[in-house]
Formats: sequence, structure tokens, C-alpha cells
Amino acid sequence: MKNATRIFVLALVLGLVATACSSADESLEGRTVTVAIENLYPPFNFIDEVTGQGAGFDYDIWNEICSRLDCKAEFVEAVWPDVILETGDGVYDTAADGISITEERKEVVAYSDSYMTTIQKIMVRSDESRWATADEFFASNSKLGTQVGTTNYELATTLTNESNIDAFDLFPTAVLALLSGDVDAVIIDDVAGQGYVGEGNEGTKLLEGDLQSDPLGFIYAKGSELIDPVNEIIADMKSDGTMDKLIKKWFIDFKA
Amino acid sequence: MTAIDTEHLPDPTPPGAKLSYDFAGFPWWLVGILATIAFPVYKLLTDETWNDGFLFIKDGLTLTFIVTFAGFAIAMVLGLGVSLARMSKRAVPRNIAMYYIELIRGIPVLVTIIMFGLVIVPWFFSRAGIDPQSTIGSKAIRASVAIGLIYAAFIAEVLRAGIESVEKGQREAGMSVGLNNRQVFRFIVWPQAIRNIMPALGNDLIALLKDSSLVSILAVREITQMSRLWTGRNFQFFTGFMILAAMYLTLTVGLSLLLQWYERRIATP
Repeated sequence: MKNATRIFVLALVLGLVATACSSADESLEGRTVTVAIENLYPPFNFIDEVTGQGAGFDYDIWNEICSRLDCKAEFVEAVWPDVILETGDGVYDTAADGISITEERKEVVAYSDSYMTTIQKIMVRSDESRWATADEFFASNSKLGTQVGTTNYELATTLTNESNIDAFDLFPTAVLALLSGDVDAVIIDDVAGQGYVGEGNEGTKLLEGDLQSDPLGFIYAKGSELIDPVNEIIADMKSDGTMDKLIKKWFIDFKA
Repeated sequence: MTAIDTEHLPDPTPPGAKLSYDFAGFPWWLVGILATIAFPVYKLLTDETWNDGFLFIKDGLTLTFIVTFAGFAIAMVLGLGVSLARMSKRAVPRNIAMYYIELIRGIPVLVTIIMFGLVIVPWFFSRAGIDPQSTIGSKAIRASVAIGLIYAAFIAEVLRAGIESVEKGQREAGMSVGLNNRQVFRFIVWPQAIRNIMPALGNDLIALLKDSSLVSILAVREITQMSRLWTGRNFQFFTGFMILAAMYLTLTVGLSLLLQWYERRIATP
């Protein structure tokens, strides 16, 4: 009985100390945060051919966020675009995956502050000589590939005839269709496009001309306790140069 | 006395038993299915979102029908050839048929569709100098042929089982009255085999209709793809997939009832 009382008092004191600490510096007290990704969207997230493990911008940024917030990021593979609704329903704590912030999606999920901005571009086969700019491509009424449920698809429907659009379940399949000639172009976020052009990927190139600029954010279930602490970290990472370093690492220096 | 006067025979079932027999024999499952379909139908008549979803997704019906019926026609023609080769006494056609059946049955349907539609056909087109965007390369044709090639293997085995189920004595009797091989097959074997084949063939047609949803992976705008596009833009996953499921259920149950009716019609009297 005496022992039990002692343990109770000890637990109470420890509890108070822990609470005091956490309110001081926004700690998540070592909890696990499930981060939904696809592992199909380089350089945001993909399986590294050498290590066989998931890698990319999303992994680095969430490991960094968690190291500052005292949490453990657990990356879970999910299906696009269903992941948006699932996250809204609380299946995952958050989802990365280079998700554009749109009004429609705000009806089902809460967003973080934008951590970067991407510009949608037109990607074509590298031997393409018919068009130099995105405008010329759309004037030609040619076949365009995209992915189901993306802002790329939404934008495509406003720029060309619905019958010119092939919407694939997976982004890499759209790129495959481009390379095999089933479509003549793929609409893509420039930062993701970097994963498919350049060294080692001589098959494709980006056309001149920016189509639309999209701010990217992480998503949560509405009312998530992660929103405010992660927003603070995003602001910190922008001001201390970490964000620029990560963007340079994955979207400028990285070659798939 | 030559014929039995059935009209004046006493009713063999006692009065109480007749009611309970009808109760047990009533197609309650069909009532359940209709009730299941009735919910989405009610919603789409009364709710604007459901109505929008239905109007968007229904545009995919054309391609669902094309893939199903063109695919089934290809599967029947090719499947009959494969099954005859499979039953051949000669080693070469028999082994080719067995190779084909095992190849197709050993690879998942989805994998075959991706392989055929996105890898093999484009590879062949680029070697043969065919424009993949020409009519012949259209996704509707690619999807129908892929489904047809797959189901040819399944149907070949159904046909073989049906044909082999006809007793050897029937064949021999046909021969003994002077019919040739072709006539024996056409007039003796086939009419009996088709009764055994029909139920399994009907199952394959319904399974094929359901598997036509898999060609959505090729970005073919059949009803599954249409519901993916609709839900992907507005996140009404519950509504979109309820409508989609109700559409498939209506088609498959309708087809199933049609096939049951046809089976009864051709059944041995």
C-alpha cells in the first residue's frame, strides 16, 4: 500500500514535469506520426533503386520536422487520389506527396502552410520538334496524358478537349504512355518533372511556358493537433535555410 | 387407356404445404438485390450530387459494353479454336493450346492487361511503324483484344469440358449411321454439349463484364474510369462508388436472369 502511494506520487510528479517541458517547446513527446506517400512520385517520394528503401523530399522534410518536434515519422504507402479523403477521415496523420492546395480539397482536409510552390509545365519526348512552347502544344489539339484526381488533370480539362486527355491511375504510367507515343505530352509539376528529365532520363524534356502555379501543403484531418506545431516548424525551416537546402537537394541537384 | 388424364388427378400437395412451398421458393434474393439497387436509384432521383455523378459516370457505359461484347466475341471465336486444338490428337496443336491456356491462367488478369496494353502493343507498334494514336491502336480496341485474349483461355476449357462430357457412345452411334466427323460434331455432339456449356459460359460472360473494370488502368473511359475521374475531382467517393456498384449489379443481375431464362429454354424437356 505504501509502495503504491509512492509510485502514484512519483508518477504525478513526472507527469507534471513532462507537461511543463512540452508546453515550453511544442513537443509531440515521441509519438508516431503516420505520413502517407505513394513511393511513385519522384523526387517527392520513390523507392531508391540502390537501397530498396523509400527516399525523397517528403522523407527528408518529415524526418526533419519530427526531429524538431520530437515525433517519429512512419511512412505509409497510399493510393492517389483516395489518400486525400482517407487523411480527412483520420486514416493517416498527414499526407505529403506534393499535394496542391485547392478550394475543393479544403472541404475534406485541413492544410498546412505552403512549404513550396510548383509550376505546371508540359513534358514531351526529347525528340519532339513540333512545338517549342506549351501554347503551341495546346493549339495543335494533340493527345495529353495526366493522372486521375490531380490539379494537372483539372488544369488539362480547361486547356484542351476532354477527348484529348488520357487520365492514368499512376503518374509513371502517363510517362510510359508518353514514351510509347500513346500520348504526345504529359502535364506535370515542374519540380516532379525534374525527376523525369535530364541525366539518365534522356527520353523526355519540358516545353517553355508556365501553365499555372500551385502552392503545395501537407494535409491533415480537420482539427488535427499537428497543424500549428508543424506550421511553426515550416516557418522556422524557411527562415533558417533548411527548406532551401532540401529543395536544392531534391529538385535541383537530384537526378533520378 | 393410353394417356393419363392429368386434369382429374387429385392434387398431390396438401393445402397448407402449397403456401409454404411458394414462400420458400420465392426469389427473396432478387428482392434483396432490387432493394440494394433501389437505394442509389432513389438517391440519384432526389439528390443533385448523386444525379450529377450518375450523368457523368453513365457516359462510360458505351465503352463497358464495347469491351464486354467485343471481348466476349473474340474470346468465343479464339476459345473455340483453342479448345479444338487442345483436344486434337496431334501433338503440335495440342501443346500450343495447352501452352496458351497455362500462360494466360498463370498470369493475373490485371498484369496481362497492363503488359498487353501498355508494353507489348506499343513495343510492336513502334517496330512495325504503326502510329499508336491511329484508330487501330485505340485504347478501346486494345482493351477489347486484351480481355478477349484472356477469356479465350478460360472459355476454351469450358468448351472442352462440355464437349468431352458428351458420351463416346453418342459419337459412335452417329458414325454408325454414316455421318462424317463434321456432321457428328454439328448434329450430335454440339447440341448436347451446349446444354452443359451454357451455365459455365454464362458465368464467364458475367465475370468478363466485371473484369472489364480492370481496363481502366489503360485510361479507357469505361464506367470504373469515369467514376475515378468524377470522385478524383470532388472527393464524393461514397456517392461515386455506390453509383458504380449499382450499375455493375444491375448489369450482372440482368445478364444472369437472361441467361437463366435461356438455360431453361434449351434444357432437356
